[in-house]
Amino acid sequence: MQTRGAHRSLGWLLTTLLLFAACSGQENGHGANPGSDVVNIGYSGPLSGGAAYYGRNVQSGLQMAVDELNEAGGLEIAGRKIRFNLVSLDDQYLPNETATNARRLVQQSRAAVIFVPHAGGVLAVQGMNTRDPFRFLLMAYTSEPRILESANPLTVMIPPRYDHYAGPFVRTTQDRFGKRLGILPTTTTYGRTWTEVVTREWQAQGGTVGRNFGVDYNTTTDFSSVVTQVLAEKPDVLFLGGPSQPTALVVRAAREQGFRGGFLMMDQPKFEEMVTVVSLTELEGSVGVHPQETYPASGVPLFVANFRKRVGPAPVLVSEIALNYQAVHIAARAMALAGTTSDVDAIRARIPEVVSQLPPAIAISDIRHVNELGHIVRQVYGAHVLDGKYVPLPIPLGAEPTDTAR
Amino acid sequence: MSLFLQQVVNAVALGSVYSLVALGLTLVYGVLHIPNFAHGALYMLGAYATFFLVTAYGVHYVPALAISAAAIALLGIALERVAFRPLEGRSPVHAMIVALGVLLFFQGSAAALWGADFRRLPTPFDGVVSLGGLTITEQRVIVILAAVATMIALHVFLTRTLAGMAIEATAQDREGARVVGIDTRRVAMLTFAISAGLAAVAGSLVAPLVLVSPVMGEVVNLKAFAIIILGGMGSIPGAIVGGYVLALAEVLGGTYVAFAFSDVIGFAILVLVLAIKPTGLFAKGV
Repeated sequence: MQTRGAHRSLGWLLTTLLLFAACSGQENGHGANPGSDVVNIGYSGPLSGGAAYYGRNVQSGLQMAVDELNEAGGLEIAGRKIRFNLVSLDDQYLPNETATNARRLVQQSRAAVIFVPHAGGVLAVQGMNTRDPFRFLLMAYTSEPRILESANPLTVMIPPRYDHYAGPFVRTTQDRFGKRLGILPTTTTYGRTWTEVVTREWQAQGGTVGRNFGVDYNTTTDFSSVVTQVLAEKPDVLFLGGPSQPTALVVRAAREQGFRGGFLMMDQPKFEEMVTVVSLTELEGSVGVHPQETYPASGVPLFVANFRKRVGPAPVLVSEIALNYQAVHIAARAMALAGTTSDVDAIRARIPEVVSQLPPAIAISDIRHVNELGHIVRQVYGAHVLDGKYVPLPIPLGAEPTDTAR
Repeated sequence: MSLFLQQVVNAVALGSVYSLVALGLTLVYGVLHIPNFAHGALYMLGAYATFFLVTAYGVHYVPALAISAAAIALLGIALERVAFRPLEGRSPVHAMIVALGVLLFFQGSAAALWGADFRRLPTPFDGVVSLGGLTITEQRVIVILAAVATMIALHVFLTRTLAGMAIEATAQDREGARVVGIDTRRVAMLTFAISAGLAAVAGSLVAPLVLVSPVMGEVVNLKAFAIIILGGMGSIPGAIVGGYVLALAEVLGGTYVAFAFSDVIGFAILVLVLAIKPTGLFAKGV
């Protein structure tokens, strides 16, 4: 009886493991055919765990661009038709896992271009991506300006820097609601540095800042008690931010407890995702990043039409989908111009040229240039929810770090 | 003063959910001595079941909650029958490993089937009740009332019905229960059913307040284990009192002692209780 039980439980354990293997096997790209003319693009992001939703969004943007390139018959690079394949590995948002994944992507998949969508992972692999034998072009999707500090020659920073938002966001909310700021952001490293930036800016513009009531948005079950505390300070504006959906729960809790002021949001929560949880009426008076689907840029309507044709009306289109989609096209075109799929320095050198001549369908934001630190500098818009409508809020590009002599 | 009262109201709503989750966990531990790490996953599946019943099939929230509880109770029976019964009489370590495996399996399956999206369960109780400067949402009132009603029902079941008394007897002495003719295997199945049902009720009650996602059970699971250690492993009053104590400690400690330590305060109390009374507040005489 004992051994039978043991066998059976072992059987169950194995079945479970096998099922898992079957599920996680799907992570590995769509139809990886190892023909010689297929180039692997690497991706290491959170595909399971609390941040999986974000990681999957990034992945779908990358995949859409890869599919488009392949459906067009591939891209001609150095006289050969090259097809692309996305190889995705899960790092669960853990920087050390990102580093391991990057090694695997370079060694096993021969990836010359690797996408990483979080600051911790980017900083972790910046130590290795310029050294043999792991040289690769790091496509960094994070708004954290610190990734530019090391002036890594093989990093391309895709999204806008978040510190540029602070000035206009603070001005808009102070003008409309008043000078007292309540602070309730998430407590990740990113959340803390954002808080410092906003605190400095709020005080510089003559406002007063309350105590920091930051909580971990991913592990907090019920926001009502912390909202009660921050509202006891009678703020005019609340500074919030974390993943969109928990941020929306904080908004709801604040409105339920009678808060009438405005919300100053980080660039992490997205209005288009928050409105799946709260109404736009509850978000009245918020400032945050502009929704992607109506972003003021010439190529957006065409891109949105393409996106909808592919995925249907339901999925929410957020900037992490759009900008990563665009970045794959940029990297692929840089390969074509450089005439190589493996010489990472040559590919990187062509990126500024590529962004200056993007075709309309890919011009989903108004790119100015790529600066010497590898940041893709764009015309950026925030949005101010005014009378139930998103009013675009142009963000001045501000000083790039080379000018401020870090 | 109104800040204090508001925070007590907030804590009672939070504590109700904590207690419900901890009840199911302590029940299984008391009767079967299995630390069921998969409990948080049953809570998550219960929330998903209610979510799909309401959004995809248009069932009203209240019957959806009941159907979900029944479905997850059946799943609990299946779990006992398939995963835990084969380990009967073996070292508890085996049961722990299986419980962890089940947790990962359910979480992974949920992510694979329904995606990692956060979903919002609409509730018919969407209003806000204001009372002398205090505000509480209707859904939180429902959470508190439903939790208390469930606890009373469980108490009546365990002390007034034959099946309930069989569970109590098995918890007190498994061998003895068998000697007097109680089918302890049926008791095990029944215990798992009730435990899973309680998890589903808790998950469904809290779903409109938080968001439904494959990882929603993780934190609650951790808290529930802290609660049953605090209250005494296997003790039902311990789970109820422990749930409210932890919630009050977290909320009031965060408000009046030190905000940055609100999560630490709960665990500090745990350490304190364990130092003074290592068996927990309501330990059963062993």
